[in-house]
Amino acid sequence: MLVDLLFTCFAVCSVLGAVGLIIFRHPMNGAMSFLVTLISLAGLYALLSAKLLFALQLIVYAGAIMSLIVFIIMFLNIQPEELPAETTKVIYLVGGAVAVTPIAFFLIKVVNRLPDMPVSFAGAGFGGVKEVGLIFFTEWLVPFEIVSILLLVALVGAVVLAGKREKNK
Amino acid sequence: MIHDYLVLSVILFCLGMVGVFSRRNFFTVFMSVELMLNAANLAFIAFARLQQNMDGHILALLVMAVAAAEAALALAVVILLHKQTGKLDTNVFSLLKG
Amino acid sequence: MEHSTFYLGMIPLFPLLGAVVIGLLHVFTCKRWQVPQLLYGLLACVGPAMSFFLAMRVFLELRALPVEARFFSHKAFTWFSVGDLHLDMGFLADPLSSLMLLFVTFIGTLIHVYSIGYMDGDKSYGKFFAYMNLFLGSMLILVLGDSPVVMFVGWEGVGLCSYLLISYYSEDRGNVLAGNKAFIVNRIGDLGFVLGMGFLFWAIGSHGFDFLSLKANAHLMNESTILIVCLLLFVGATGKSAQIPLYVWLPDAMAGPTPVSALIHAATMVTAGVYMVARFSFLYVEVAAAGMVVAWIGILTALLAAVFGMFQDDIKKILAYSTVSQLGYMFAGVGVTAYSAGIFHVFTHAFFKALLFLGAGAVIYVLHHEQNIWKMGGLKKKMPITYWTMLIGALALAGCPPFAGFFSKDEILYSALANGHVFIWLIGVLVAAMTAYYTFRMIFVVFHGNPRDQHAYDHATEAPAVMTVPLIILAVGALFAGFYNLPAIFGGEQMISHWLAPSVADHHAQHSFFLEFIAIATSIAAFAFGIWVAYKRFGKGAEEPVFAGFARFAYHKFYVDELYNALFVQPYKTVGVAISEEVEPHMTDAPVTSVSRLYMRVGSLVKVFQSGYVRIYAIYMILGLGIMSLILSQSLN
Repeated sequence: MLVDLLFTCFAVCSVLGAVGLIIFRHPMNGAMSFLVTLISLAGLYALLSAKLLFALQLIVYAGAIMSLIVFIIMFLNIQPEELPAETTKVIYLVGGAVAVTPIAFFLIKVVNRLPDMPVSFAGAGFGGVKEVGLIFFTEWLVPFEIVSILLLVALVGAVVLAGKREKNK
Repeated sequence: MIHDYLVLSVILFCLGMVGVFSRRNFFTVFMSVELMLNAANLAFIAFARLQQNMDGHILALLVMAVAAAEAALALAVVILLHKQTGKLDTNVFSLLKG
Repeated sequence: MEHSTFYLGMIPLFPLLGAVVIGLLHVFTCKRWQVPQLLYGLLACVGPAMSFFLAMRVFLELRALPVEARFFSHKAFTWFSVGDLHLDMGFLADPLSSLMLLFVTFIGTLIHVYSIGYMDGDKSYGKFFAYMNLFLGSMLILVLGDSPVVMFVGWEGVGLCSYLLISYYSEDRGNVLAGNKAFIVNRIGDLGFVLGMGFLFWAIGSHGFDFLSLKANAHLMNESTILIVCLLLFVGATGKSAQIPLYVWLPDAMAGPTPVSALIHAATMVTAGVYMVARFSFLYVEVAAAGMVVAWIGILTALLAAVFGMFQDDIKKILAYSTVSQLGYMFAGVGVTAYSAGIFHVFTHAFFKALLFLGAGAVIYVLHHEQNIWKMGGLKKKMPITYWTMLIGALALAGCPPFAGFFSKDEILYSALANGHVFIWLIGVLVAAMTAYYTFRMIFVVFHGNPRDQHAYDHATEAPAVMTVPLIILAVGALFAGFYNLPAIFGGEQMISHWLAPSVADHHAQHSFFLEFIAIATSIAAFAFGIWVAYKRFGKGAEEPVFAGFARFAYHKFYVDELYNALFVQPYKTVGVAISEEVEPHMTDAPVTSVSRLYMRVGSLVKVFQSGYVRIYAIYMILGLGIMSLILSQSLN
């Protein structure tokens, strides 16, 4: 019962946060709203016994990535008049919702054909740091290395892109 | 029930899609993409729970790493664009117009 | 018997590498600074010299083998493999190819050395040597190729280099046209070669397409197929070796630098046709008719070219026609199934013709590119080494015993007579007399008598040592090369004939000392007669004659070039012009243009969808996904 209650609570929060993200005009508001979604998702991960992912969602996603985004938004010091004048936003939102409906409908139909099971806490070993780490560094070693190279490249790329000085001034 | 998680994932994913193509603000579009990634992560973890198999967790982890890389690069690009045009409007760029 | 065959592939590789190195060096430095000529010269001579030493090794190794096993081959790599056809880049060493190898690399090396002197001061020195090395590499591929296809690679390679080198002085339009002519006429011949090869492959190619398998399987073909193949291959040979009706390019090819004329258009490339016929001798012996065609075309070419040669006034043209004429002899030889005699003549001819060309080159060099013999004269005193070496070459060409040309020519004539082809023999004797006449006409006019151009004469000196030393070496070759195949009547052993016996299918008539004696006697008589007439007319100095009647007709080469021009070139041109002016704009261009206009119309209609906004494209994608989802949802039920 408690699990169902928590699930409903997190689910509603995450959907509301997502709706807020795509409705708010100022990106700062959107970012705050998105943060709600991310934290709710962390809660959902916890309900699914993904202990490591729960922690990483909070630390990496809600912590690092979102703070980076918020930092940049604040860094650029965006004034409301700098934002695009999205006069037709409502039309697009409604139209988009209509366009997406068949996809959602189809996906939900697919989900309903899958086997189902009630959610209860899995065995002590499931989703822990040690267990996930063991799999990660044995079976998934090559993707791990590739991702680490990708991060390095992104690091260099970000420095090169953002650090460009305009020479003509 | 696992189905509920999957349905929630579908809803979040579709909201992300709507955000991507109905907004013109760089930041909102970017965060909508992040939302779609998160929806996928949720699905991965739900499936992992369903199958009692932790590979889904690993995939979610990799998605997070990719999202971090993407955030670093995308934000650098946004800063550049803002420097060049002073605007945050995706419609400024329409070089592909036929 | 196991032994390393790897070095066989290295033989063509050395000159090719040389070509690449020199070519790159030239391309990257010609704009900036002058690479010392000596460096180019040394680089160019290293490749041929290495090939020559390897060719020696091939020869010695073959000689150590028992007679019936005197061949070995080396597969460098698989060229391509399509379905059942499996083709290797393979090289075959057997007595025939080893003999060709030896003198091609030997003379090639000498001519490279000579070129260092002759091309002195030329502004694209590097380019010249790159082409020369490329030529030699291609020639060695041609000689060594173990299948008709590999041979054809070399065949085309030498054709290309011939074109490049004829047009070498490309500032002059005439030289470029001469190059074009050589290239186009050779293409006609090559078409014959390709068709012949195709027929051969169609007939017995499935049993393996290298020479050894072809030889083993030749009996599977019926006679008419063999005849067709032989004639088509011979068309290829007439192109490369300048026989009737495709001989017209060779005299024009003299536009190139003289070492080129010596190497390509006298000693090596032009003999490729003879070599090819000898290679395919296992086919030619099967059908007598094919051999007869070859022999008659050859002897008629010899006659025609000799007639032209008697009336030319350009020193290189005289030698060019004598080359055509001697090639005719070689074909007559292989045509009457005396393959070893034909190849023997190729061998000796390479020496004395290269010698004559190089000597002529020395004269031209000393006289600052004067080629008209009527402006020379009396050079004997000024250029003794050139004179004496050229005299040896001329005696060899004219067939004076005991010089090289005598033995080989006599071998051919004797074979014609012994195999019962009396008319071919008679024409051959006639041509021998004419050869002696025009050769000594040239020698007398150029070196004897009084100088006709006093100014040029005063400035003439002997050519530098780098040019005269190859002349001397070649003169020694021209003097003694004939002894390698001394016929039995002189107590010789016919070493070359025995050496070649495993490779070529010689047909031996009943040996007759009587016939051989007749052949030798008539040859010597013909030589003496020709030289006597030449001495009577030119020996004491003569002025440039005014041609009239037949002589004028012959001087203009029977107007064959003009005839070909009117018969083939002009109609072709007319058709081409008609097509380009009428057919193309109205019949082919118009529909194509209207189709492209249609696309432009449609394009401008659908252009509106291309707004340029990325999110709009995303919406298109979502709409497509939505439609797909609707359809898939149906199927899920």
